[in-house]
Amino acid sequence: MRIRLLPYLFKQALNNILSNRVVHAIGLGTMVVSLLIFGTFLLLFVNLNAWVQGWGHSMSMSVYLNDDISAAQRAEITSFIGNLAEAEIKRFISKDAALRDLRSALGSQAGVLEGLSDNPLPASFEVTFTDMDDRGTDLKGIKQALQDMYGVEEVQYSEEWLHRFEGLMNIIKLVGFVIGGLLCLGILFIVTNTIKLTIYSRKEEIEILKLVGATDWFVKIPYLFEGMIQGILSGVFALVILYFGYFLISTKKMYFLGLAGLDFVFIPYQYTLLIILISVSLGLLGCFIAVGRFFDI
Amino acid sequence: MIQLFHLFKNFGPSIALGDLNLRVHEGEFVFVTGPSGAGKTTLLRLIFGAEIPTSGHILINGVNLSRISRLKLDLLRRKIGFVFQDFKLLPKKTVFENVALALEVTGEHPSFIRKRTHRTLKLVGLAEKEKAYPLQLSGGEQQRVAIARAIVKDPLILLADEPTGNLDSDLTKDIMILFRSIHLKGTTVVIATHSRELLEDTAQRTVFLHNGRIVGKK
Ligand SMILES: Nc1ncnc2c1ncn2[C@@H]1O[C@H](COP(=O)(O)OP(=O)(O)OP(=O)(O)O)[C@@H](O)[C@H]1O
Ligand SMILES: [Mg+2]
Repeated sequence: MRIRLLPYLFKQALNNILSNRVVHAIGLGTMVVSLLIFGTFLLLFVNLNAWVQGWGHSMSMSVYLNDDISAAQRAEITSFIGNLAEAEIKRFISKDAALRDLRSALGSQAGVLEGLSDNPLPASFEVTFTDMDDRGTDLKGIKQALQDMYGVEEVQYSEEWLHRFEGLMNIIKLVGFVIGGLLCLGILFIVTNTIKLTIYSRKEEIEILKLVGATDWFVKIPYLFEGMIQGILSGVFALVILYFGYFLISTKKMYFLGLAGLDFVFIPYQYTLLIILISVSLGLLGCFIAVGRFFDI
Repeated sequence: MIQLFHLFKNFGPSIALGDLNLRVHEGEFVFVTGPSGAGKTTLLRLIFGAEIPTSGHILINGVNLSRISRLKLDLLRRKIGFVFQDFKLLPKKTVFENVALALEVTGEHPSFIRKRTHRTLKLVGLAEKEKAYPLQLSGGEQQRVAIARAIVKDPLILLADEPTGNLDSDLTKDIMILFRSIHLKGTTVVIATHSRELLEDTAQRTVFLHNGRIVGKK
């Protein structure tokens, strides 16, 4: 195989695409749609993940106080929390306020509280943490330190809740892999058949090429180019459409979803490269399958 | 040199060639003749490796065709020119492109391909038809395109299947002179024909085929 032949074979691939443009257009369209579905899923996943991480970074902690806490002990707790860089006391919930909250939460069932002789609910500080990075803040340590202070009854924070969300994200990830896998199979099927059709449309020509001494590679390489071109084009088209869709939604600030204030980001460039890589390798693989059982002449 | 040893070729139950033994020396000029269906085309296609013998062996310059790889066979074909009885021209390519194809598959330099193709088309008298498409040509003209494609690469062996079947007697003479000049340059030439005219005024070696067997030699 001489290098000089490559431009010739590339031109041959372009000719093949042009003379089978309907087949290629349909194949390309289907591939773009498949990649678009995958890309949309990726986009949603990336954002959902970012939001969950964001919530994780701004967690809240409830510090429940003993009923017999002294003013000095309370001041000590306040100053301890005030000295933490990431933490901030959002509000103080007195015993009465806690009972009021509970009453309104119970609604019509609030009657069960009538029999109480005195208020069993503790007062608490609601502490929020902001700008935490994943490793930096030692929540367990802070919890322990607070619990060891006089006047503190119990400390709870939202770690378990976060764990539950991470579990959900893992399920979504798994679903993504399954959808992605199925779409990949679909794309492979489309490419293989597109290339097969163009091979059949050139059957006569291939026979003659082989009769005048063309090697198998001379015949096969244009199809590999075809698959590669189809892969690149569908990947790029899908990304452009995805970006366009993202652009439309992100400028509307998503008021209609009631999620204003959350940043909607595009998939990171590593993922865009991944989509291109997937589409190109599927294009090539489909070609290899299509030209694999090549007719002997 | 072409050597055939106990060559058999069956198509299903019908026998196209039976126990054929033949030796064509390097630089020889041989006619293969016989009635329609005698097996002439089958014989040439076997020598070309386009058909696999049912049994027996074919040696081209000492290389056994049944023992070489696909790639080696492809490369061997570049040294063999074949004029097909049904031409096998590509209808969507011009005359020039059809002939150039035989050189393009070898990866020759484009300017060399252009020069060679022009020269060869002139040789067969089709310089004016370079840009025409095969279906715009007469049968005889198409035949000459097929001949041009077979000889454009200066083959070591030229296999021509009924190469003058569509030509008038003047053109037949011209083409035969062309074959002889190619032969004089050292090419081994095997021509299959049932044309009496072609055989009459020749003292060339001739092999007579009938029902797939050699029934006579001259
Ligand atoms: N691909 C094929 N499938 C089945 N039978 C075939 C095939 N090719 C040739 N034959 C048979 O083999 C026999 C020899 O055919 P071949 O084409 O070699 O004859 P030929 O001498 O070239 O005839 P003609 O002078 O008409 O071209 C014929 O009986 C033909 O029917
Ligand atoms: Mg024949």
